[in-house]
Amino acid sequence: MDLHFSAEDQQFREMARDWLRDNIPAGRRPHHGEEMRTFDTAWQKTQFDAGWAGISWPTEYGGLGLDLTRQLIWYEEYARAGAPDNHLCFVGLNHAGPTIVSHGDEHQKRKYLKPVLSGESIWCQGFSEPNSGSDLASLSTRAEIDGDELVITGSKIWTSHGHLSDMQELLVRTDPDAPKHKGISWVIFDMKVAGLELRPINIMTAPNLPHFVQCFYDEARIPLANVVGGLNNGWKIAMSTLGFERGTAQIKDQIRYAHLVEEMITRAKKRFGSENLHTDEIGSRLAQLRADMAAARAMTYMTVSRAKAGNPGAESSLMRAMVGQVQQKVRRLALDIIGPEALENPDEDDWVYFYLRTFSTTIAAGTSQIQRNIIGERVLGLPK
Amino acid sequence: MNLLPDSQQQQILDTLSGLLREKAPIDRFREHGEVGNEDDRLWPILGDLGFLGLGISDSFGGVGLSAAEEVLVYREFGNQLLSVGVFGLTLGARIAALGGDDTMCRQILSGSLIIGVASSLHTPVQMSETACAGAFHLFEASKADLILLMNEQGAALITADQFVERKSVKPMDAILTLERSQLPASRPALWIDASDDALHTRAILLASAYATGIAATTQSMAVEYAKIREQFGKPIGSFQAVKHLCAEMAIRSEAAQSQCLFSALVVAEDRDDKDFQAISSKITSVDAALQNAASNIQIHGAFGFTAEANAHHFLKRAHVMDQLWGDLRHQRARLLSLPTPAT
Ligand SMILES: Cc1cc2nc3c(=O)[nH]c(=O)nc-3n(C[C@H](O)[C@H](O)[C@H](O)COP(=O)(O)OP(=O)(O)OC[C@H]3O[C@@H](n4cnc5c(N)ncnc54)[C@H](O)[C@@H]3O)c2cc1C
Repeated sequence: MDLHFSAEDQQFREMARDWLRDNIPAGRRPHHGEEMRTFDTAWQKTQFDAGWAGISWPTEYGGLGLDLTRQLIWYEEYARAGAPDNHLCFVGLNHAGPTIVSHGDEHQKRKYLKPVLSGESIWCQGFSEPNSGSDLASLSTRAEIDGDELVITGSKIWTSHGHLSDMQELLVRTDPDAPKHKGISWVIFDMKVAGLELRPINIMTAPNLPHFVQCFYDEARIPLANVVGGLNNGWKIAMSTLGFERGTAQIKDQIRYAHLVEEMITRAKKRFGSENLHTDEIGSRLAQLRADMAAARAMTYMTVSRAKAGNPGAESSLMRAMVGQVQQKVRRLALDIIGPEALENPDEDDWVYFYLRTFSTTIAAGTSQIQRNIIGERVLGLPK
Repeated sequence: MNLLPDSQQQQILDTLSGLLREKAPIDRFREHGEVGNEDDRLWPILGDLGFLGLGISDSFGGVGLSAAEEVLVYREFGNQLLSVGVFGLTLGARIAALGGDDTMCRQILSGSLIIGVASSLHTPVQMSETACAGAFHLFEASKADLILLMNEQGAALITADQFVERKSVKPMDAILTLERSQLPASRPALWIDASDDALHTRAILLASAYATGIAATTQSMAVEYAKIREQFGKPIGSFQAVKHLCAEMAIRSEAAQSQCLFSALVVAEDRDDKDFQAISSKITSVDAALQNAASNIQIHGAFGFTAEANAHHFLKRAHVMDQLWGDLRHQRARLLSLPTPAT
């Protein structure tokens, strides 16, 4: 056991810190629309041009080919610098991209990976359907083989930023007669293909602006060569990258939330007086969250330690569950610290906006109930 | 950076857990009478193998390792609910070594001195090199030669006969002896000021490690039982209400364990944020121990409520860990008063 980083790691950290300090974009990140796309893609391109994109991606596809420790350091410095998350690039960088890295063929890797790193190509995730949410494997969007093409008919829903995306990682049913996990394929879908229609859906933080879309596919045609990792092999492929990549990307959130708790302590002292805070219920909740945030960071280190020892394992789901839960507690407490002003201007006040936004952290990417099923069954070995 | 034990640490762990499983199985409590335990029989054995002096330099008869190794063995102590007298030995030996008392240190490490543990009652405590005073609970002090007493100001070893008005009380955790007593202003036999060594921080860290053992063991007891106990024709662990309780236990254990190991390394390096990290560790681990111990009873049903099942011992010991060196409320207030760590 040790907390030390090697001299080379330390040097990498300092370079990252210096670069981030001088290059993070000024101004508040827009939460919606084309403005957000412009902001996120420009910031991604800045990182790419300076050689900071794709820390752990292979060098031949534009990445840096560095290990998990460097990835951890980069995320730590990123969050410490207060760099904005480019959410629009998330699926490409943390999900579709790594899936193609692991399972794509040479042509797919050459064609699709670099534009993700450079911010030219935005990906979205077409997994959930109106009748297949938690039970994702029951999905029914159909893809029929017609010569060297796939013909897709059906619907996806809750596709975040689908209306702002270029590409989609799409799960389709290619063999309706096979058992439900065995007839699914993971395909690359170009959002410009004819036969796709989008219906925008607004969310509770911004009742007038769409966050996600429902996609309707009406005999939309894509090349059969867009199947990644083999026909009817999509379930295995989707699951192999789902957990871990999301886990490591969470490192940023933990540091950010630890900072938030510190800011909230300052704010609470101002509002209630430092002398009173110790005996106040808010003070006790703040202290608990300080401890929880410290533990969340230590859990990340534990997860990285396990992964470096060659077994990332299902244990990373413990960290995910913990962090989702603590984020909601932090945001909830922030509101109590703000007081009546919390009822005003949710769009302009980040505290209020993110309070509402974190309601999704226990729903998106596997609800907290499903996560607990996974922990019970895969970490603890309890029966189904 | 690596939070997993290296091969030497793993070896220490394997040796110790093998030994404790043989010499201190949880079922040992059933054979013992009403109150108390016979764990002091283990002290010479543990001392002989070096487990009591892991963090003490070899010039004083210790092993010369760090808080990291101490934390690993204290988790094992928690797994087997070793008498809290062991805190008196580990921390007492450190006081003796830092105080330059080679003879006393070696006596403690050989298991030939017994050290009880004082835990302050509600009244304010006086703590200094010249005089310590206050009202205390004394754990495992019936046969003790010395009493360990510490707070944020410093750490003291006090000869047991300086405590007056000693009165045995019936302990909630009947495996331990418990007394109430007064300490009139008394000069400690040895005193280590907090400015010389963060003994109190280390005590908090070790208590938290012990608590992670309680959290982990109650988790595995509950999970094992949920796999074999059947109702409605199925193992109860297949019901989500039970499965999710187990998942919560695992999340809490993982958080507590990770923070405990992390803070041990911070303490070992004597970093500025050691109090911040160790207190965070005590909060998360005592919370995990208390909640996991409670869920374990629930998952065992009426069996968990009986005296014969071991579940209740873990709950009661978790409450002792909470009280030692400041309960959750106290730790939260302290944590809130600390500055933001630099790193
Ligand atoms: C902000 C946001 C962004 C999203 N972005 C995307 C995206 O880009 N692409 C995409 O494909 N999807 C996306 N999703 C969808 C997300 O993956 C699903 O919402 C999620 O998988 C849950 O499915 P559902 O909403 O249909 O809920 P349901 O599955 O209908 O669940 C409803 C409730 O029932 C509970 N439940 C269901 N099954 C069980 C069970 N077996 N045991 C216990 N409880 C159960 C759930 O926990 C939940 O509380 C997004 C969701 C959100 C909120």
